[in-house]
Amino acid sequence: MASSQVVIVRGKGVLTQDENIDQKKLLRMYSRGFQLILDSLNPKESLRRLFKADDRVGIKINTIGGKRISTRPEVSQSLANFLVDSGIPDRGIVIWDRTNRELREAGYRLNMNRSALKVLGTDTNGIGYNFDLVSHLNIGSRFSRIQTDTITTSISLAILKDHGMAGITAGMKNYFGAIHNPNKYHDSNCDPFVAELFETSPIKEKHRLSILDCLVVQYHRGPAYHTRWAKKYEALVFSLDPVAADFVGWQVIEQLRAQDGLPSLKEENREPKYLQTAVKMGLGKASSGEIKIIEEEI
Amino acid sequence: MKRRQFFKTAGGAALLTSSGLGSLLMDLYAFSGQENLSQVEARYYKKHPDREIECELCPRFCRLGDKERGYCGVRENIGGTYYTLVYGKACSANIDPIEKKPLFHYLPGSSALSIATAGCNVNCKFCQNWEISQVRPEQVTHYDFPPQAVVQSAQKNNCPVIAYTYTEPIIFYEYMYDTSIEAHKKGIHNVVITGGYINPEPLVELTKVVQAIKVDLKAFSQDFYASYVRGKLEPVLEAIKIISKSKVWMEIVYLVIPTLNDSPQEIRGVSQWLRKEVGPDVPLHFSRFHPMYLVKNLPSTPVSTLERAHKIAKEEGLNYVYIGNVPGHRAESTYCPKCGKVVIERKGYLIESIELAENRCKNCSTPIPGIWS
Repeated sequence: MASSQVVIVRGKGVLTQDENIDQKKLLRMYSRGFQLILDSLNPKESLRRLFKADDRVGIKINTIGGKRISTRPEVSQSLANFLVDSGIPDRGIVIWDRTNRELREAGYRLNMNRSALKVLGTDTNGIGYNFDLVSHLNIGSRFSRIQTDTITTSISLAILKDHGMAGITAGMKNYFGAIHNPNKYHDSNCDPFVAELFETSPIKEKHRLSILDCLVVQYHRGPAYHTRWAKKYEALVFSLDPVAADFVGWQVIEQLRAQDGLPSLKEENREPKYLQTAVKMGLGKASSGEIKIIEEEI
Repeated sequence: MKRRQFFKTAGGAALLTSSGLGSLLMDLYAFSGQENLSQVEARYYKKHPDREIECELCPRFCRLGDKERGYCGVRENIGGTYYTLVYGKACSANIDPIEKKPLFHYLPGSSALSIATAGCNVNCKFCQNWEISQVRPEQVTHYDFPPQAVVQSAQKNNCPVIAYTYTEPIIFYEYMYDTSIEAHKKGIHNVVITGGYINPEPLVELTKVVQAIKVDLKAFSQDFYASYVRGKLEPVLEAIKIISKSKVWMEIVYLVIPTLNDSPQEIRGVSQWLRKEVGPDVPLHFSRFHPMYLVKNLPSTPVSTLERAHKIAKEEGLNYVYIGNVPGHRAESTYCPKCGKVVIERKGYLIESIELAENRCKNCSTPIPGIWS
C-alpha cells in the first residue's frame, strides 16, 4: 500500500469567544481540507469520486459526550451542506448516532422527513437494529439499520477524545455507535475489537472518509467532558485512510498531554493498541514514516 | 423514545406470545426505550475523582467515566454516581418447573416464578438467551415489575419459589436482593441461576438472603473462559467455594460442547476439583449443547459424550451426576449412592416418583442431601 495522507486544517478563530462557530471559516476549512485530501482545486467535483449522486451518505457522529464534547451540529451540518453542493441531494444524507436522546442533548434537532436531510438515532421508531447477527472474528453484533439498510456510503465524523480504555476515541471507534452491544468490546484497550468491527462488511464496504472534529479536544480523563483537560484546538482532520486518521488524532492528543505535563498514553498503558491490529489487518497505516501529513492554517 | 402499550388486548397478547414472553407480564404496561429505565443507585462500587467510578460487583471491575456503562450494559455512571437501570424492570417472567433450572435436589416438582432483566456480565458465544442477555435494557421490551409485585405474583400463582434466571442475575443484583428479602417474609424461596462471575463480598451478602444457587461452570480451563466466555475461570471457582461454605444449597451445571470443553481430561479435572473443594454430594449436571448464537459450526453434543462425562464423574467419586437436555435419559433420575435404587424418577421436567422417606432412601435409609420440603 502506498503511503497514506492525512490533512490537518487549522482554523484559528473558528470558535468564537462565546464558544459559537464562525460558519464561514468552518466552511473554508472543509473546502481546503477536501482540496488537499482529494488533491483537487475543485473538491466539490472531486467528491464525486467518493460519492455518487444517488448514494445515500451516512454521517456517523459521536454524541455520547453531551453538548460540550460531541460532534458539533454546525460541524456535521456544514459537511452535509458541502456534500449537497457537490451534487448529493439532501434527502440522500443522514446525520446519525445511537439514540435520539443523545442527539438532542448534543444540540441536534431531529429530522425524520424523508424528503430532506435526516437527523436521527437508531432508536427511532421503525429503525432499530437488524435482527441478524454479523459475526466476524471476535465480533458478534446487530448493526443499526441505518448502517446496513438506509445508507450506501459512510463518513465517520467523530470528535477526537481521550478514552480511558481505548486510549483515544476517534474515527474507527466511532462505529461502536453502529452496533447494539458496544459495551462488550471495551476489554483489553478495546483491542482487537475496534479494528475487527471496522473490518465487518457493513462498515468496511461503506466507509469512504474519516473526518475528526478537533475544534475542542478532550485530551485527558475522556471520554467524558472535563473543562480542565478540554483544549480549544480549532482543527479538522481528514483522511481516506481510517487508521492514519486515528493515528494522527492520537498524536494530537499526545501533543496536548505533553504540553500539559501529563504522562503519555503509553506510560499509562493505554495507548491505542487497536491501531497496530488494524495495520496488521491491512486496514491502513499507523506510523509516521508511512503517513504524509499536510498541515495548513487558514 | 417512549412507547406505552397496554397488553390486555388480544393483539398485545399475541405479540407477547410471539416474542417469547411469559403470560405473567401480560397485565403490565410494556415499555421500550431509555426513558422508562430505573435510576436506582447501584451497590458495590467506588467513587473516584473526576466523576469516575469503579464497579466492584463482579471481577471485571469496570472503571467508567461519566455517561459510560459497564460491560453488563445495565449499569451507568451518571454524573459520578453509579446506577442500575434495571431495578424492577423485568424483560421476562414465566412459571417454570424447578427442574428446568435445573435444580434436582431442591423442592422437586415445585413451580418457580422465574424472572430476568436484560444484560449479562460475560458474553458466552454459545448463550441460549442472547437475545435478552446480550442487549441493553432499552433494546428489549421491559415491564415494571417491582419486588413487591413479583412476590405477590408468586403468591397468586402458587409458586413456592422465585428464580432469578435466564440472563445473569448478578447484573440485577439490587433487584434480586430486595425481592429475595420481600419473598422470604412471605415464606417464598429464592433460587439463583448464575455463571458465578461475582466478587466475594456481594456473593457472601447474597448467600444470606437466597436459599439455592445453581452455578454454570462453563469449562475447566482459563483458555475457554477467555475465548468463549470473555471472563476468567478463577473467580467462578472461588464463588463455588464461597457458596459451598454457606448455608445455600448448590448445584453445578457443565454444558458439554463438542471439542471445546469435552475432553476426558477436562471432565476428570472438574470432577476431581468439585469432589475435593465442595464434596461428593454436590449435584453435577452435564448438559447437552445445541448450536446457538455465535457457535453454530459445531454439532449438538453426542449423547455418548455426555455418558462418558457422567462415567468419569462417577469414577471420581461424585454421588449425584446427571445428564441434561436429553429428555428420557436414565441419568435424569436420582439414584441412591448406596443401594443404587431410584429415589427420584424424572422424565424431562416431570417427576414420575419420589422414593424418599424423610430425606432418606426408602430402600436403604441412606440420607440423600437436598432440600426436599
